[in-house]
Amino acid sequence: MAYIEIENLKYRYPRTDRLALDGITLKIEKGSFLGIIGKNGSGKSTLASAIIGLVPQFYKGAYGGSVRIDGLDAAKVPVTELARKVGLVFQNPFNQLSGAKDKVYDEVCFGMQNFAIAPDEMARRADDILKRLGIYEFRDRNPFDLSGGQMQRVAIASILVLNPDVIILDEPTSQLDPAGSEEVFRVVEKLRESGITVIMIEQKIDKIADYSDSILLLDDGRMIAYGSPSEVLSMDGIESHGVLPPAVTRISRKLSIRKPDGYLPVNIEEAGPLMKGRIAFRDISDKSRSTGPEMLRAEDLFFHYREGLDVLKGVNLSFDARPTAIIGQNGAGKTTLAKLMKGLLKPSSGKILFKGKDTAGATAASLAPSIGYVFQNPDDQIFKPRVIDEVMFGPLNIGMAAEKAKEKASAALHMVKLDNAMNRNPYDLDLHERKMVALASVIAMEPDVIILDEPTIAQDDRGKDMIRGIIKELHKNGMLVISILHDMDLVALSFDRVIVMAHGQVIKDGSPREVFSDSQALMEAGLELPHVASLARALGDDGIKLSEEEFLSSCTFTG
Amino acid sequence: MEGKNIFRTKFDVASIVLIPACIGINYIGKLFASALKLPLWLDSIGTCLGACLGGPIIGGICGAANNLIYGLTTGDSITLIYALTSLFIGFFVGIMARAGFMKSFPKSLLTALVAGGVAIVISTPLNIVFWGGQTGNVWGDAVFAASQAASLPLWLSSLFDEIIVDVPDKIITLILTFIILKALPDKLTALYDADDEVERLD
Amino acid sequence: MKSISLYRDNGTWLCRVHPFTKLMYIAAAILCPPILGSLWAYAAAIVVDIIILVSAKSLKRAKNLIIFSFTIILTIFIIKGLFDAENATPAFAIGPAVFYKEGLMKALRTGAVIINMLLSFSILVLTSKPEDIADEMERHGFSPRLSYVISSVFSIIPQMMGTMDTITDAQRSRGMETEGSLGKRMKAFIPLITPVVTSSLINTRERAIALEVRGFGGKGKRSYLRTWQKHRGDKAMTISLAILIILASIWRVIVWLI
Repeated sequence: MAYIEIENLKYRYPRTDRLALDGITLKIEKGSFLGIIGKNGSGKSTLASAIIGLVPQFYKGAYGGSVRIDGLDAAKVPVTELARKVGLVFQNPFNQLSGAKDKVYDEVCFGMQNFAIAPDEMARRADDILKRLGIYEFRDRNPFDLSGGQMQRVAIASILVLNPDVIILDEPTSQLDPAGSEEVFRVVEKLRESGITVIMIEQKIDKIADYSDSILLLDDGRMIAYGSPSEVLSMDGIESHGVLPPAVTRISRKLSIRKPDGYLPVNIEEAGPLMKGRIAFRDISDKSRSTGPEMLRAEDLFFHYREGLDVLKGVNLSFDARPTAIIGQNGAGKTTLAKLMKGLLKPSSGKILFKGKDTAGATAASLAPSIGYVFQNPDDQIFKPRVIDEVMFGPLNIGMAAEKAKEKASAALHMVKLDNAMNRNPYDLDLHERKMVALASVIAMEPDVIILDEPTIAQDDRGKDMIRGIIKELHKNGMLVISILHDMDLVALSFDRVIVMAHGQVIKDGSPREVFSDSQALMEAGLELPHVASLARALGDDGIKLSEEEFLSSCTFTG
Repeated sequence: MEGKNIFRTKFDVASIVLIPACIGINYIGKLFASALKLPLWLDSIGTCLGACLGGPIIGGICGAANNLIYGLTTGDSITLIYALTSLFIGFFVGIMARAGFMKSFPKSLLTALVAGGVAIVISTPLNIVFWGGQTGNVWGDAVFAASQAASLPLWLSSLFDEIIVDVPDKIITLILTFIILKALPDKLTALYDADDEVERLD
Repeated sequence: MKSISLYRDNGTWLCRVHPFTKLMYIAAAILCPPILGSLWAYAAAIVVDIIILVSAKSLKRAKNLIIFSFTIILTIFIIKGLFDAENATPAFAIGPAVFYKEGLMKALRTGAVIINMLLSFSILVLTSKPEDIADEMERHGFSPRLSYVISSVFSIIPQMMGTMDTITDAQRSRGMETEGSLGKRMKAFIPLITPVVTSSLINTRERAIALEVRGFGGKGKRSYLRTWQKHRGDKAMTISLAILIILASIWRVIVWLI
């Protein structure tokens, strides 16, 4: 008998009429690594919840079929009992902390106390796991003071000390920056080597392809495919289920490169031997040049939160109509720069000019008609019980008439494809949709400049695609789009100008190709190449290929 | 929910986690009110929300725990005495909510009056016993002084004092509670539904 | 993260005294004076409070806690002194305002109750960590759910306060003014408080899940990471304080009987 046996599982959340899971049948062997993929809302998290019994015990609703964990019925055996066998780590690092402990060490021991594990055994396990996950040095820190990646590792440690047979990772990096994600993936790799059964839900398809023994693709609560990574990711029409295979797989398909077993390669290790030496690249070059009049200007900008600790050290920038990405590690000063431009902070010296006028005397509120700012977390602004009212809030604040505000709000919601959610409660929508509501609520004010802070966090491939379309459309309407980004693929595809920041200064400014060609600057800012570019690089290209199309049009493959 | 036992309470983890959140909300309400320099306390929004979501028992616990925790840890030990008032506010708002009196705006005003009434009935004797009848609020105490000067009985002066202080506050508090409740998603409110059972699909 | 707790470990003896011993002291300090009934008993209690606070180098911080009560106490003196129903014996007059002895004595008693209460509680509040109090309660048979509620209040509030700043920025970015007339500020209240309240309530759902999967909902036996060894002095103090309360009560009963 397999360790986990799922038999025709069906489930519906309370007060809804759609099946979130519909006829799932699955066996998971001990020691295997299962990746679950699918677009947002396809039932991935619901399946994870069902394996640990939260569905139906915690969520209630309607349930059919069965889930057996090591012979135990997950619908009946209390979650706290199942937790001895199955551990769960989910997206939001904050909410996974018990909230009752003010030291990392105590936090990690919280679960063991509930299971009455003897104090010396508790100490032994905690020390061991903390060291293995590289967070031993934080053991006396307040877990809430840690970075997202560190916090998420604490959450994983808190589960591992319970010695479960299975650990479920439900998009553990979806709310982290790249550095934090890397920290967590390094841990995932260790887990994989340790032989524990891992079930990982993840949007970062390259990681899933690398780690998994098998992949399950869900759409609309149903199993679409289940098999080895190559088998599932080679499937024809996989994009129609909202999943974009890794760049290497997409390009291999176009070039008709297949492995001996007939499937497409899913990572560079597999593709290398098939492509190396048989592919040649032509160089593409371009230069970023300014277009149109200057919209926004930063002159010799300095800023500090605490005297003597300058966060910005003399930034000089001039923005025209080109969509501009600002990239760099956390702490480089990107958000501070954005907040200064929006008027949420005031420079300690230097000035900011909007269309030639100094904004020193203007409040953030009075700048709202000119400069919009979309915050990272939509829940920091949503307060109306209807989506349309939420989106109309800004336009009404800046003095638009109700009629016009409604018109602009509807247009903005149309742009983010939430037309039919207009009368719903925003908090009944999923996080990725709420992010779109927040975006629409700023677009509706029709500012001249719109600043987006990490717009692609929590979005699946479809959502990222939509954001690319929105950036293009806003640019076409004459709006200056500035975005703080960690997603290098989006930087490569959607922006004409890229500004690289490190330690409070601009270290590189140019077209995406110019920036990604400057390996010195990338290293200094701790940044990586976009997936397509790094594939081309691995195959011997010395230039930069920004997109799949560029890759294909500039290479010659001798098959 | 109506028609069933009004006092039915779930004591699962979800309800336990609700309590500190509500106590935190009370604190934030008070903080915002003073940051915006509003002439109100607004320090029982969380208790009222807890009562509306979790029922009278959870509401009562939120109220009492609120004052006990702040009293015992933030040095505002005077708050301790009013744990009793908070407990009953939470309890009665919970009853009103379960009886359907938070469903519409006019009905929620009625709940506000009940909460104000409860505050007056419980706090006035406490004020008399501990502070000789005052509330410590400038406006309320001015009325207290005036009615004492007019030789009204102590309990009546104290009652006036309390009415001035608590009734407007409770009205605004429950209006805010009503607005916030409206904004809460079904996903969340379903969690505290004490009567939900799992339905079988096969 | 900035805590709302006033506890500081300043290394003095009082920080090492068990919180239950301090609770016993509070009980004695608050109960004995009214049982004995004399104003001198209040004075004695206040003096003991102050001696303890001085020896623990915490009087200055305690002062910050009680200073707000002075205005209330002052108004009590004025109102009682001028208007109390039992006023009969004039004590002194300021201009046309005549203060009476009876009212002033009542105010003095009320003031003593307030000061004694604030001071004795400050002994616990300033020198015991709330999480320690919660842990000790749990170890002595109180429900782990209760101690969870206490501890988590202290982590939830700083989190909410952090969110509050972001929310203020987000709403200002959408053109909402937070300063100006009372009407404007009132209107700003809902857009500011609703997101923090809603998201903290919504977060409870995930928090509950996080606790469930770590076995918090279970009813079985639990274990503890560390145990607070009570000092010999803790026991002696607790017993002496209990005896003090009993003696005061006996004295009261005897006085009644005679």
